[in-house]
Amino acid sequence: MIRAGGLKRKSKPASEIPSSSLADMAFLLLIFFMVTTTFRKEQSRIWDAPLADATQKLEVKRRDVLHVFVERDGSIFINDMLVPTDQVSDVVAPIYEESERRLVISLRADRDVPYVYVDAVQKELQEAGAVRVAFYTELEQRVTATIQ
Amino acid sequence: MAFMRKKSRVSGEIPTSAMADIAFLLLIFFLVTTVFDEEKGLQVVLPDAQSEIAVSQENLLHLTIQPTGTVLVQRGASPEVQTVSVSQIEAIWRAEAANNENLIAAVQTHPEAPHRHMIAVLDQLQLANADRISLQLLEE
Repeated sequence: MIRAGGLKRKSKPASEIPSSSLADMAFLLLIFFMVTTTFRKEQSRIWDAPLADATQKLEVKRRDVLHVFVERDGSIFINDMLVPTDQVSDVVAPIYEESERRLVISLRADRDVPYVYVDAVQKELQEAGAVRVAFYTELEQRVTATIQ
Repeated sequence: MAFMRKKSRVSGEIPTSAMADIAFLLLIFFLVTTVFDEEKGLQVVLPDAQSEIAVSQENLLHLTIQPTGTVLVQRGASPEVQTVSVSQIEAIWRAEAANNENLIAAVQTHPEAPHRHMIAVLDQLQLANADRISLQLLEE
């Protein structure tokens, strides 16, 4: 062993990172998620969305959106209530007024609903004055892109 | 008793080493179960209930959607009706709109046609940047 005179013994490097703040960080992240998680106000319904390439994200606040579900048999659900077709405008009109005309209707019609039901809902929405309508679609990825 | 045994000191601390584990487990639970509900779709603006605007036939491209999903294309008042599949509509619109910038797409859907056919046609029109689209029910 080569011994240089006066060479101090190297202190052993600490092999442990202090992990006492790990629990603090974990709880902070946890509290963040607990505070920011919002739960769905309505039940999810059984339906399949139609596919569309031109699907776009809506730039609208969550509270200015009203979900109108049209199921395969044509029954209409708004806020978990089954609404007969002719009462749709009575249900939507006050909500539209309350939102100060900012309301966007997310029309979630099952892909196989006969169009006559969707058209009836559209006519009711026109009557209620809620003309900003978005047909809910899932994004369909085109396999081949057309070159324009 | 001759002498008192020294009471062993009970440790006043609960071992908290497992706290970080529990915190991470709960965190991972929330990370995994959080689902973001996106608002998306094809946007349209419906006309007012009362408004009916007179449009001349030359500014109209009629698209009639059959229950099978095929589309009948008729340009304005011309008697010629073309049967096309949905995927051709984007190209047809671009060609027609190049000649007439006031062109309106009059989409008429058969009452028994599934909703997805109307969406497919609307999709093609929006991909072709059509901004004047009218959605109607085919009256029999």
